[in-house]
Amino acid sequence: MTPLPNKSRRSLQWNRCIPIPHRPFMRTESNLPPQVSEMPGPPLLPVQSTWITYRAQIEIGLALLAYMMFLVGSVTILRANPDASWRYIVAVVPVAPASLVLFLFARRLARLDELQRRIQIEAFGFSLAATALITFAYGFLEGAGLPHLNWTYILPLMAALWAVGAAIFTFRYR
Amino acid sequence: MKNRLRVLRAELDWSQADLAERLGVSRQTVNAIETGKYDPSLPLAFSLARTFKRRIEEIFEAEQGRL
Repeated sequence: MTPLPNKSRRSLQWNRCIPIPHRPFMRTESNLPPQVSEMPGPPLLPVQSTWITYRAQIEIGLALLAYMMFLVGSVTILRANPDASWRYIVAVVPVAPASLVLFLFARRLARLDELQRRIQIEAFGFSLAATALITFAYGFLEGAGLPHLNWTYILPLMAALWAVGAAIFTFRYR
Repeated sequence: MKNRLRVLRAELDWSQADLAERLGVSRQTVNAIETGKYDPSLPLAFSLARTFKRRIEEIFEAEQGRL
């Protein structure tokens, strides 16, 4: 085998050692994303795209639905059997779907990107402050003679205000 | 903070969704950065710079009097 001339050997080594993305006779086109119309396979059904976009919301919604169904069932059974020895177990059963809601909710928060996290923090802050304001105001109104309300109204109020806050702050960053 | 994201994106013919997918963030976040309503964190700014193969200073420009 005849040795290569000095110059071309150097260029070979040069080619081998330093990868240059745009050198001649190599791939030079940019990494464009694939066009949707050229994607293989049939187009997505509306139901599939909804699942991809709103997966977390659907999961949390179904878990909440399961929690409510367990809660109604548990309360119904307890009303029918107020003196049964197993009543504590039945009363605790709805905690299982509630933990599922908590798990899905925490997972959703962990998967948000930095702007979405900021929006959620601002919405939580808004909800906390507005709930404090409203419950304090109603507390003083109660002192002035309005009827006493159940404490369980506080959480739905907080959740509703959180939704309002999330809508406000999402709109602000549009 | 001013930025050249829209121009850089147009040069490559990427949509906001394309860029969002490359960065691993939502399209909403790309839009908020582009319109200057949200300043990205340092890690996200660095991945933007890597994605466009430019330095951060070539993409973002601090407004006068704020730095």
